Amino acid sequence: MEAATEIIQVQGLVKRYGDFTAVKGSRFQVHKGEIFGLLGPNGAGKTTTLEMLVGLRKPDEGTAAIDGYDITREMEKVKEVIGVQLQSTTLFELLKVEEILHLYASFYKRNIPIPQLIDDMLLTEKKNSRIKGLSGGQKQRLAIALALVHDPSVIFLDEPTTGLDPQARRTLWDIILKLKERGKTIVLTTHYMDEAHVLCDRIAIMDQGELIALDTPGELVKNLQSDSAVEFRFEGENPDMQLPEIEGVKQVGNQKDVHILYTDNLQTTLTDLIQKASEKQLKLADLQTRTATLEDVFIHMTGRRLREE
Amino acid sequence: MRAYWQLTLSQIRIFLRNRQVLFWTLAFPIFLMVMLGSFLGNGNGISITIGVVDQDQSEQAKSFADELKKNEAISLEKMSEEKEALRQLKKGDLQLVVVIPQGYGTQISAAPAEKPFQMPVYYNETNFAVSQVGLQLVTNAVDSISKEKVNYKPVVVTDAKGVEALNLRYIDFLVPGIVAMMIMSNNMNGVAGQIASWRERGILRRMQGTTLKASTFIAAQITARFLLNGLQALIVLGVAWAVFGIEVRGSWLTLITFVALGTLAFMAIGFIIAGIAKTPESAGPIAGFLSFPMLFLGGVFFPIKNMPEFLQPIVQILPIAHLSHALRETMNVGASFASLGMEAMILGGWLIGAFIAASYTFKWE
Repeated sequence: MEAATEIIQVQGLVKRYGDFTAVKGSRFQVHKGEIFGLLGPNGAGKTTTLEMLVGLRKPDEGTAAIDGYDITREMEKVKEVIGVQLQSTTLFELLKVEEILHLYASFYKRNIPIPQLIDDMLLTEKKNSRIKGLSGGQKQRLAIALALVHDPSVIFLDEPTTGLDPQARRTLWDIILKLKERGKTIVLTTHYMDEAHVLCDRIAIMDQGELIALDTPGELVKNLQSDSAVEFRFEGENPDMQLPEIEGVKQVGNQKDVHILYTDNLQTTLTDLIQKASEKQLKLADLQTRTATLEDVFIHMTGRRLREE
Repeated sequence: MRAYWQLTLSQIRIFLRNRQVLFWTLAFPIFLMVMLGSFLGNGNGISITIGVVDQDQSEQAKSFADELKKNEAISLEKMSEEKEALRQLKKGDLQLVVVIPQGYGTQISAAPAEKPFQMPVYYNETNFAVSQVGLQLVTNAVDSISKEKVNYKPVVVTDAKGVEALNLRYIDFLVPGIVAMMIMSNNMNGVAGQIASWRERGILRRMQGTTLKASTFIAAQITARFLLNGLQALIVLGVAWAVFGIEVRGSWLTLITFVALGTLAFMAIGFIIAGIAKTPESAGPIAGFLSFPMLFLGGVFFPIKNMPEFLQPIVQILPIAHLSHALRETMNVGASFASLGMEAMILGGWLIGAFIAASYTFKWE
């Protein structure tokens, strides 16, 4: 990666709620013009981190600078250069699309032309409709439009595609990628692997308030040093079996009673696993193999899945 | 400045598009006014129906009935059967029954007897207040007949003069009260409910993410509600004028000033409730907790003078009492603004105090 200008510098942000520490001193940089993903399960501290950056929560310790402005001291300046889409935002349902855009535009000194913005967000047909009657995807695009009315250089999107159908998600991905083409810096949170993989230039993985990894999606998967994953359970009691000793296994992951073996040589590992299990008269259940993904990176690092289903 | 106008405009749009709220906030006060106004409104308060059973059928008996009829509050119903009359009295259709016994005519035309003639008057003890008034009226009629008979010349007479020198009906009392009630509930309950629900739904939170200032938001809220509630008050006054012939005796400027003061004071209290209430569900009961006592103690439906002694100090500091009093004085009596300085100051005090408290309790989320 070429030397990029850092538009956001996060310096040890801490947020506590009573005894519970939601964010434990995050420290990272976001480069100008990239899509930066905050990835993690619910409660990892992604949203709290994002909300501290946009001024909705006061950090207990640490600070951050966005486009040169300090978030603890110059929030008013920061708000002029950032656009925000919050998780599950509700808007004034009785207003029309065009009206609410004019309303939000009036909150800022600088504006972009509203008709153009409506076209870009594919809301032309709906511009005279009340917000109440919009679909989930349309509401989300409107929420992003509202984040753009003042032509910000950094855009924060908190779980922009949660709850949308696959079609609406793809439409939104296109819009986000187009924003990047126009030179916007985008920080988004998600717990969808595929979304992070498609959209993000770099990903910060958060778990229990801590930043546990930060790299490009490709590098993160590569660091697993394995292409494939073998997933299975033992039927009955967990037996005394040395999984790392199975041929070709590079790493072992656990999630409850499900075991995951990471390997570059799928065939060897699989054969050896079945053979060793047969020798000990163990029964394998739910055996499956797949290509390693970001999900595996997460399981490997935390021992848990991103989304508990 | 642009944000202020846009927010005001948006609030007005939201309000006008919310047809149901619009309808019911107007329908309720008008309904209340028409109901109470037509049931209790047009008479001088109490009207009494007296059943007369004339067993004498003489000239004198007729003139006694005529004497009773002179009083506007009394309507007479001639009955032939005493039993039937008493049955209706028990039912409550009649408030009093006067029986003129046989021999009434002959006895009072004769020379004054040693013992006065006894005229039976029946009343129902379960309807005590009205019975007492009725008995008093019958006694008056009987008195005046007695006086006439003996050529009685009074030495001293009372000369009752209403200090307001006005003919006030209950509806005249009621309409300013209802306008005051409307101002209270639309503003206090309205603001509290709306702000709390916008906060719950994250609408305010989203606006906090912009460069919008809380003061601009609050100012626009106030302006929009002020225009809308002013309009509503005028509509209610218009209906009162068209249906009941209510007039505004004082200056409209004074009236509008007090509508404005009341609107702002109750809106500020609404903002405090919105700040205290953790959920929109709790905003309703908190607003109700404040508005119900005010409805009954604040002189909306009943004059404050009728309240028990121990409640008077509480009643005297309620903002609604001063608002309804000021509106009443302006509309009924035609009081000038200068003479209502006390009311203006107390409402102003509530307004300033409540806004200071509201600015400390206001939260975006």
